[in-house]
Amino acid sequence: MSSRTSRTRRGAAGLTAALALTLGACSAGGDAGGGGDAAPGEVSGDITLLTPIYEGTEGQRLLEDELLPQFYEQYPDVTVTVDYTTYGQLNEKLTTAVASGLIPDVMMMGVGWIEGFADRGILANLSEDAGYTQADLEEDYAPQIVEAGMWEESVYALPIMLDTRVGVARMDLLAEAGYDHTPTSWEELREMAIALTERDASGTLQRTGFDIMSTDLRQGFETMFFSSGGSLFNEDFTEPTFNSPEGVETLQFLVDLVNTDGVEDIGFTSTDAEVNPLLNGRAAMGIAHNSLWTQAEEAAPDVMEHLQPFTIPGEVPGMFFGGTMASVAAGSDHPEAAQALTEFLASPDAALAANEQRGNVPALTELLDSDYVQGNVMVQFAMENLDVAQREGGPPAWLEIRGDIKPAIEAALLQQQTPQEALDTLAAGAQAAIDR
Amino acid sequence: MSTSTPAMAATSAPDLPPSRPSASNRRDRRARDRRRFATRSLLNLFLLVGAFTMIVPFLWMIFTSLKSPAELALFPPTFWPQEWRWENYPEALAAAPFHIYFRNSFIIAFSHTAITLVFASMAGYALARIPFRGREWIFMGIVAMLMIPTYSKIVPQFLIVRFMPLFGGNDILGQGGTGWLNSWWALIIPGGLSASAIFLFRQFYLSLPKELEEAARLDGLGEYRIFAQIYTPLVKPALATVGLLTFQDSWNNFLWPLLVTTSDNLRVIQVGLAVFQQLEGTAWGYLMAGTTLATVPMVLLFLFCQKYFVQGFANAGIK
Amino acid sequence: MVLAAADGTGTALTAEATPAATGPMAALTGRLRGSRRRPPRVTPSRSGRKTRRAGWLMVAPTIAHIGLWTLIPVIATFALSLTDYSVFDAPAWIGLDNYIEIINDPAFRKATWNTIVYTFWTVPVSMAIAVVIAVMLNQKLRLQNWYRAAFFLPQVTATVAIAMVWLWMFNPQTGLVNGILAVVGIPGQAWLVDPEWALWAVILVGVWQGIGMKMLIYIAALQNIDENLYEAASLDGASAVRKFFAITLPMLKPATFFVFVISIIGAFQVFDQVYVLTDGGPANATTMMTYEVYRAAFQDFRMGLACAQSVLLFAFLLVMTLISRRATRGDEE
Repeated sequence: MSSRTSRTRRGAAGLTAALALTLGACSAGGDAGGGGDAAPGEVSGDITLLTPIYEGTEGQRLLEDELLPQFYEQYPDVTVTVDYTTYGQLNEKLTTAVASGLIPDVMMMGVGWIEGFADRGILANLSEDAGYTQADLEEDYAPQIVEAGMWEESVYALPIMLDTRVGVARMDLLAEAGYDHTPTSWEELREMAIALTERDASGTLQRTGFDIMSTDLRQGFETMFFSSGGSLFNEDFTEPTFNSPEGVETLQFLVDLVNTDGVEDIGFTSTDAEVNPLLNGRAAMGIAHNSLWTQAEEAAPDVMEHLQPFTIPGEVPGMFFGGTMASVAAGSDHPEAAQALTEFLASPDAALAANEQRGNVPALTELLDSDYVQGNVMVQFAMENLDVAQREGGPPAWLEIRGDIKPAIEAALLQQQTPQEALDTLAAGAQAAIDR
Repeated sequence: MSTSTPAMAATSAPDLPPSRPSASNRRDRRARDRRRFATRSLLNLFLLVGAFTMIVPFLWMIFTSLKSPAELALFPPTFWPQEWRWENYPEALAAAPFHIYFRNSFIIAFSHTAITLVFASMAGYALARIPFRGREWIFMGIVAMLMIPTYSKIVPQFLIVRFMPLFGGNDILGQGGTGWLNSWWALIIPGGLSASAIFLFRQFYLSLPKELEEAARLDGLGEYRIFAQIYTPLVKPALATVGLLTFQDSWNNFLWPLLVTTSDNLRVIQVGLAVFQQLEGTAWGYLMAGTTLATVPMVLLFLFCQKYFVQGFANAGIK
Repeated sequence: MVLAAADGTGTALTAEATPAATGPMAALTGRLRGSRRRPPRVTPSRSGRKTRRAGWLMVAPTIAHIGLWTLIPVIATFALSLTDYSVFDAPAWIGLDNYIEIINDPAFRKATWNTIVYTFWTVPVSMAIAVVIAVMLNQKLRLQNWYRAAFFLPQVTATVAIAMVWLWMFNPQTGLVNGILAVVGIPGQAWLVDPEWALWAVILVGVWQGIGMKMLIYIAALQNIDENLYEAASLDGASAVRKFFAITLPMLKPATFFVFVISIIGAFQVFDQVYVLTDGGPANATTMMTYEVYRAAFQDFRMGLACAQSVLLFAFLLVMTLISRRATRGDEE
């Protein structure tokens, strides 16, 4: 009998403990470090770095054998402990870190994460603490890239590498069909896509004229949407605007491509496909990630000369960018050391090396002239056009919203809903998330 | 299904002696042998087809692990590799410190299995065979614990690890340090016992005859000796099953080891495999090579455990 | 919670005294009857107390472990389900708001329905196949060990490899599934991207992958069946089919109860397959309850909502387990 009551009490105690832990954890995130421009010699401390990049032997070798030794030369009294993760598990790592109050001093996260984490007070305000200004950064980066690291007029993160999505054409296949240039308007894109699509006698699709299925549908849609001149949210990110006429028109365009024009069948390829269909001739044009170039180097070197990237030709040139940024924890015990590491990782040499290791697009404008960028057609094209690139995100609730976009696009493509209905439902959900 | 039932039923007790051995009608027996041969062949055919559908993914994995990126780009995809690219294996192993990861995974899986076999069998035995007050509630409670999905339990579990008193620089209230984070404790203890293992053991101990314990108790044997010396030797198949499933679960665990460690020296094999799946694309050849190497120990373990799948108490000689 | 209710019956529950299958019910009826300490049939009462103490000692480590590592997180899940916990801020009490939101969320309703359909088909089908295969593989066949290993392989093959193969099998143009259907003259489908078919494709993979573990448990359980039973039945002239239903199945009852409960719990919490095969798509056609829990917790940072979803899932499972407990009462005989 006594054992039973004690068990009940233990349960209650456990509950209290769990809640207390949670509360304690939250208060642990509080005070922001002073900061300022301390001289390198005075900066010291043991700091931790949480990173979804530099993982694997190659990345670790780069970070620990090349980059960090350079950093230690400048800051001999700082030691860095690295916690490697992958993008797939970044949110789980961040969640447990925040919940337990053990927030890494330097965190790398994606474009679209910064606003939410800055708004909730997890990230240090680098404008206040380290004197970064939007104007200064815009000397080194394109303005939208700087904005990706900002929240409410302040800088919270420095860009390191970008992922871009642009249109890519197989010029050899275009030439076969009598085209010598990439499309110059949506109408031409559509016309060319129809002409380049091949089906066999039984109607089975052999080659799509314009592939939108091997990129994540959300990002593919956004790439097209950006070229329509629309924007995802209003100026102060309080309202979604992707259900604007531009949004509906964009989605209608994609729905027509699939359902009216038969340019691509749903399921023809997917983000899980072993290879991008542009590389094995199953697509003549498509929306692709800049890693297509490194993929081609390995899998299909002979098509490399035929790959021609292009911005989606709409009202404005359409190009999508996401990427990895470095930020400092608001509660860091060693804010100067953390800032120094952030700055170092974003510096030209370190950023170039990281991008080269992953085949990605450096964010720093000056790196356009580097050998790496000049040797990678996709990356070079992306960098040359960074001024037109647009990003996703904006409101702090972005991470809640983005997961619902793909199902909505799919519902429209499957004609379960009209583009207007699909985007209106999506916008209503987004509004609710923003207002929460 | 419909094809399987008769085949199975017809042979569920094939080794029985003919009921009337004396009637030596040779033609009868030959007909029976023929029938038996036919059902056997049918059974084998069915099992072969079934086994093949089970093995295909495994073969696909191995063949993919031996293909070059250029071959993986072919459409339609090939099943049999055109050229066998064995370099995928050393190259995949070089992509992450797999020797550390393998060692860690082995230590963790082995520890989980050992803890589970000792404590879960004990608990399962008590819940099945020792009448004590409240055991039904305990049993139902243990089963109920399985019904909340991992994803909502994982944050509280993480917090318990992090605020573990007197470890990792924590004070008695669990404040100030990092608790069990980044230690073997966190990797081994929380996952050491699973409710399903206890449940399975209970069911196996239940299925044993009561006469054994009654006889043993009359002989004055203590409960622990009945457990350890009488009953547990009879549930070898259960030990093998639970051991195998526990080892495998723990071997494939990914999220928990990633969350509770920050040092690469404590990471596990599945974390290493994640290196091949990046945002920019998946290195299928390497991923499958690494996955094959991670699967082989499990297959070997299965083949090893098989020998414990023998008749339990039929050999115990209850008369 | 559950644990506290049985207090004060004063009944010494023994395997003989209660069929035990009803658990809480038995305790309750015991109290209503006002029954007192009823000594077990064989054991004298003094050694009975020793026996009970041994019982407690043997479950004590388990209770301590599960109490700390599972019960507390489960209680926290229940508590947090009534809050707006986001991991960023301290949880604030919001009553049943999370539950109201979930019930009105079409995606979660869809997920619930999908989960029920998935469970309804995968559990019985894979259990039936598993028990049949286990009985087959309990014969003394020359290739027995290899067959067993083959059927167990899907269980040990990494999900990512399995997904890759099934993506290929389900490929509308080159996949094996449509190839086989074409031979029979049935038109193929775009399995994983057709909202009508995607759930069935996931169910097929679920059945296929679920066979291995269930078969293993059944094979292990078959080893505990006394062969004398079969011999006696043969002497009575029972057919093989009759023996299967009259001996094998009843003797497998404890294992079946385990397999059934664990399979339902597993099916209700299906995640990996969906994650790698369809990512919940197309247009939420294959989203599942656990998938929504994951999304709420780790994509949306709405831990409170995720906990409420978990509690609903828990409620479903508890009801089904209690029903199956009633249905298989006497599994301890």
